[in-house]
Amino acid sequence: MAKTEQGYGPGMRGSGEKLTDNGNGNLYGSDPEVNGNGIPDETQVDKYGFTGGAQQTSGNTAEEIPNDVLRQRESKWLDMLNSWDKWMAKKHRKVRERCQKGIPPSLRGRAWLYLSGGKVRREQNQGKFQELDDQPGDPKWVDIIERDLHRQFPFHEMFAARGGHGQQDLFRVLKAYTLHRPEEGYCQAQAPIAAVLLMHMPAEDAFWVLVQICEKYLPGYYSTGLEAIQLDGEILYALLRRVSPVAHRHLKKHKLEPILYMTEWFMCAFSRTLPWASVLRVWDMFLCEGVKILFRVGLVLLKSMLGSQEKLKTCQGLYETMELLRAIQPQYMQESFLVHEVIVLEVSEKDIEKEHHAQLKRWKESRGDLNCKSPPRMHGAKAIMTADPPSRQDLRQRPTIIVESPLTPKTDEVRVGDTMGTRETKEDKEKKTILPSPEIVNPYLPPSEPSPLLNHVTPQGSKESLSSAEHDTYL
Amino acid sequence: METIWLYQFRLIVIGDSTVGKSCLIRRFTEGRFAQVSDPTVGVDFFSRLVEIEPGKRIKLQIWDTAGQERFRSITRAYYRNSVGGLLLFDITNRRSFQNVHNWLEEAQSHVQPHSIVFLLVGHKCDLEAQRQVTQQEAEKLAGAFGMRYVETSARDAINVEKAFVDLTRDIFELVRNGDIKIQDGWEGVKSGFVPNTVHSSEEVTKGSRQCFC
Repeated sequence: MAKTEQGYGPGMRGSGEKLTDNGNGNLYGSDPEVNGNGIPDETQVDKYGFTGGAQQTSGNTAEEIPNDVLRQRESKWLDMLNSWDKWMAKKHRKVRERCQKGIPPSLRGRAWLYLSGGKVRREQNQGKFQELDDQPGDPKWVDIIERDLHRQFPFHEMFAARGGHGQQDLFRVLKAYTLHRPEEGYCQAQAPIAAVLLMHMPAEDAFWVLVQICEKYLPGYYSTGLEAIQLDGEILYALLRRVSPVAHRHLKKHKLEPILYMTEWFMCAFSRTLPWASVLRVWDMFLCEGVKILFRVGLVLLKSMLGSQEKLKTCQGLYETMELLRAIQPQYMQESFLVHEVIVLEVSEKDIEKEHHAQLKRWKESRGDLNCKSPPRMHGAKAIMTADPPSRQDLRQRPTIIVESPLTPKTDEVRVGDTMGTRETKEDKEKKTILPSPEIVNPYLPPSEPSPLLNHVTPQGSKESLSSAEHDTYL
Repeated sequence: METIWLYQFRLIVIGDSTVGKSCLIRRFTEGRFAQVSDPTVGVDFFSRLVEIEPGKRIKLQIWDTAGQERFRSITRAYYRNSVGGLLLFDITNRRSFQNVHNWLEEAQSHVQPHSIVFLLVGHKCDLEAQRQVTQQEAEKLAGAFGMRYVETSARDAINVEKAFVDLTRDIFELVRNGDIKIQDGWEGVKSGFVPNTVHSSEEVTKGSRQCFC
């Protein structure tokens, strides 16, 4: 009993540490600083690139999609991305459905770029990222960002090495944001968001998707005062009342304010909470459908953990409840369970807007006007696109590698290649058209040493997936 | 079964980002040290029992807070219901030491009408070679604010127990003397489940300097 009280129970959150060790801190073998390259030879790397920590996928917890299904999905996604404006205008339901099924890993980065509108922003602001990237940045922000670089997913092979390419890109993206929005600067919760993006796309793309998330999906979340997140906490709490009255009553009884359990969930878009397979599926839906997905995930987790009297029997008190919410049972976070529950939960944009209105009114009555006027929230890809219709030109794909494929219709795009593409695909040269372009340099390829990403390109980019997987540099 | 504890004290841990707040708390509550720790987003919450004298147990509720200034709008709500606080700075980071008085001001302005007993903690004392703040100047500052000062290391488990236990003892004395009173609607100190006899025949420990912000 006393042991649990002292926090030795299973409830600890070990996101930044290895839990196999029993007390002796010096045994942390995967510490980037200790190991230099951060990837100990004997450590298993999971399919997402994690070598340890809470995010590492163990066993067969992630859904396995048969190869032929994956290939089909890839070709469908390629087709959608080729005529994105039409799909979004006329068959948006289908796009949403496909996001709910999960975006194929090989195209996830590009799909996120399109869904978020980051692609359009990038095209409309050509050269902007480079311009921001070339500036030194405000020392005030640079200092804080630098202190956080080694603390984002330190068990991911991309971010393990101090000063490695992952951390460098993370710095570039976050610093560029502080220059893009000097009045907002940097908020520590933006770093995991940017890191997840960088696992899927180059720095410039990650920057624009981050901009879209901060401005369109979650406006005000990272701004001074953090009013938007507090308001969303109240909205979540109000919605819970309908979704799970039992859980709502319990939280009320123990005075567990939403800000205590949902701040990290929402500000980091669950990237520090869920197993990785689920993080990706949640992000697929989030970037398509907007913030309601975050609300639904939060509601599903609360309902699953606190939704029946039986579950609450052992959890009498503020601390016990916090412990429970910090150590959510794996079956509730498991990919297929969670995604299914999120899809069927009936919480719409309208519900959220209605509740937003009500909570805003309450806020104004008790605390006065909001200090930080954020732009209105956009509920997903469709709303973003409708608000600012892109030109065809803006949606034109500019991949770094182009592979001829019988599945994709021929386009008159400029075909460019890069060093990485050339390196990877030598053996299949006759099947592809690769035109090297001197001005595009793959930012992920260090001049001398091979990119660790290549290890992962190989297994998934097998010959049968030429048409799709190799379209993208980032798997 | 309820664990028997005399009182429950709520403590808050504050200080600049990266001074090691979460690591210190984890070392104290979980007995382990993480080389890398996620930056705290918002507020986090830990708990542990300490035995300040044989048979006298105090339950500590420890609130961990995000160090970045931006999060203060969230964390400041937690001062009011805290009876004690650990104010951390990193001995290898001079700026975090210079910010100590800002943190105290921040606490003072949000704790009214209650008060917080603070302990000044110079953290990461295992990194002696990189020290930027001397023990003397830290002690001087602590003295000026009427606080105790202790140097700790979560990595090497130096003074971690001492820091929390000393603070707990100080608060306990103030509660016993009636300087701090249990009040309805205030979560700082709560009475536990305990036979009355435990209260009797207490030795008064040496008086210590306290900060009543």
